[in-house]
Amino acid sequence: MIFQAVLSGIVMGCVYALIALSLVIIYKSTDVVNFAAGEFVMIAAYAGLLLLDHLSLNYALMVVLSVGLVFVLGAFFERTALNHIIGFRYAAEAALVPMVVATIGLSFMLKGAVRVIPATEEVLRLPPLFSGPPLFFGDLILQRQDLGIVGVAILVMVLLSVGFNLTATGKALRATSQNPRAAALIGIPVKRMRMMAWAVASGLAGISGILLGPKLLMTPDMGSVVMMGIAASIVGGFTSLIGCVVGGIVLGVVQNLVGIFISPQAIAVTPFFIIMVVLVVRPNGLFGEAMRLKKV
Amino acid sequence: MLDHAPNAKTEEMHQEETLIRMRAKIAAALAVLAAVTVQAWPGVSRAAEPGVTDAEITIGMFAPLSGPLVAYGVDPLAASRMLYEEANKAGGINGRKVKILVEDDKCNPNDLVAVVKKFVTVDNVFMLHGGSCTAALSAAIDYINREKVPYAMLNAAGDNAVFPPTKYVFGSFQGTQRSYAAAFAQFAAQHLKAKRAAVIVHDDDYGKANAAMAKATFDKLGVATVAIERIPPNISDVTAPLLKIREAKPDVILSGAYPAPAVLIAQKYGEFGMTNIPLLQSAQGIPTPSVFAKNVANPAALENFFYTWAFSDIGDPAVRTKYVDMFKAYNNGREPGPFMMSGLPSAMAVIEGLKMAGRDLTREGFVQAMEKLSLKTDAMPGLLEFGPNRRDAARTMVIIKYDGKSQKVMPGTYTWDGIEAN
Repeated sequence: MIFQAVLSGIVMGCVYALIALSLVIIYKSTDVVNFAAGEFVMIAAYAGLLLLDHLSLNYALMVVLSVGLVFVLGAFFERTALNHIIGFRYAAEAALVPMVVATIGLSFMLKGAVRVIPATEEVLRLPPLFSGPPLFFGDLILQRQDLGIVGVAILVMVLLSVGFNLTATGKALRATSQNPRAAALIGIPVKRMRMMAWAVASGLAGISGILLGPKLLMTPDMGSVVMMGIAASIVGGFTSLIGCVVGGIVLGVVQNLVGIFISPQAIAVTPFFIIMVVLVVRPNGLFGEAMRLKKV
Repeated sequence: MLDHAPNAKTEEMHQEETLIRMRAKIAAALAVLAAVTVQAWPGVSRAAEPGVTDAEITIGMFAPLSGPLVAYGVDPLAASRMLYEEANKAGGINGRKVKILVEDDKCNPNDLVAVVKKFVTVDNVFMLHGGSCTAALSAAIDYINREKVPYAMLNAAGDNAVFPPTKYVFGSFQGTQRSYAAAFAQFAAQHLKAKRAAVIVHDDDYGKANAAMAKATFDKLGVATVAIERIPPNISDVTAPLLKIREAKPDVILSGAYPAPAVLIAQKYGEFGMTNIPLLQSAQGIPTPSVFAKNVANPAALENFFYTWAFSDIGDPAVRTKYVDMFKAYNNGREPGPFMMSGLPSAMAVIEGLKMAGRDLTREGFVQAMEKLSLKTDAMPGLLEFGPNRRDAARTMVIIKYDGKSQKVMPGTYTWDGIEAN
């Protein structure tokens, strides 16, 4: 039972890790925690279901279009709302509160927009990408979709790592997040890099939505999964991409073990408890850099 | 002379006073005579009971007509209204037509209480008929009993509103958590011959009632309850509780979950290869069977799947056809949604209660009539009954086997015998 719980926890943890990566990429580039990340997850899932059910597209095309939609949505939001708030400042410290409030407003707006559609009153579910009989490893049971989730998560993480470390654009993104003024001085288009960071991060949230849609149930409130992403980021360190992955997996496994050894009712408070413990014992998280205090 | 003037004056004043008193008495007598005459005059409104005239009975109806729970309110209310219209077409009830006033309670306690107070104090209705959400209508129960207004719930099923019973509230026309759980437990023991049962419910009042009644019925029938898992209604991962249930090796699993967790449970039950163990789900988790099956997306998970049902339409399609056609006739040809049937029994009971209360209709008379109600209808497998200490109408359920494509009514009906759980 424990090994099954750990295995299932690792699978869910991979999805939490993707959401955490989305949050951390935006945080590293703009110092903003994107409270609308959960709604990007939700929008991608509903878009996927619409494309599959009503337009009968094949799964691969559905994934590309759904992820593409939230990719564009994130870029559009950054270019219109956040760019306007930051203005011509390279340092965004003074605009932090308005930007965070803007992401909260976006979250409510997206949720409200989805609620208007009558079909969303019913609980819905995205068909899985990988279906078929489960795989047995002794007493352990693994669904093909679960294997797919782990595989996709690993692939995305590898691509991100390669992109950020080995490509010019990735290095420019990292430079922008470390020191926007210096990056601008050497000719990096800071505004474009920020928009790209938002687009990539939103795309990651969209991938999470396609993976989560078959596992969780789709309701306009499914965006609350962002709390798992935030908890995973805090555990791993809000400045570390590797930390997100480790944090997500730790969170997924701990949730299941808490459900078995304490109570299923305690599962809901586990992320918040973990956040409190990490902030007290190791505020930087497992892999994070030392936090700078900012006046907001 | 001085002595005489006061005496004359006093005498005059006396006479005047006497005259005034006589005039007042005559006026009062005339007023009484007029009032009696007006009351006795045929065709004149009787003001004895609020919401009742010689020609009409006014009923205040309410349900969630907007918001996320609109599906539970719109069609059931429309179904109730159509039965009142049918009664009006047949000549009314004891010579009076039913007049309906409708408000939206949004499934919200504040809105519901406001609607109820408006009906009682502004619209002066005879009685209230409405409510799809127990948590919301529970907020109005004290007020309703204080104001002594008869109230029939529409399709809310919660035990809180009818246990303990209160004088003016009649409800649970599609059963309570007690009756669902008892039906399941009886079916598991008698039909499936289970000896070990696992129960998974929510950690709210619904869940507590469900679990307690299931255990009490199992104890009575000699079945061991080997696991009781309580999960929050907003749970998103049921891995842990299902693993614990699998570990307990039950012969049957009872689930009292709401729609979203019910799908998660059935999914996980299928994923963990537990499908040789029958899974019994309460009706509240299956608003639309076809959508449930689509969401579970695993035919193997439904090979051994059953759910409770409080109506006769699945066992007798002619019943459903009758009421669907009636609904369409009153609603511009619109096909009803999945909850239409749940609006029927409460209106049937109210109409019968009004008939039994007679032409000399009063609120107290109606309450007494409802306490004697024992109504058999084609829409329900059992009786709709109340009593001096009973306010939950329906205690009989059927069990449906559902494989994702077809529904089959299992033999027998299952009735909660009123045993209380500790």
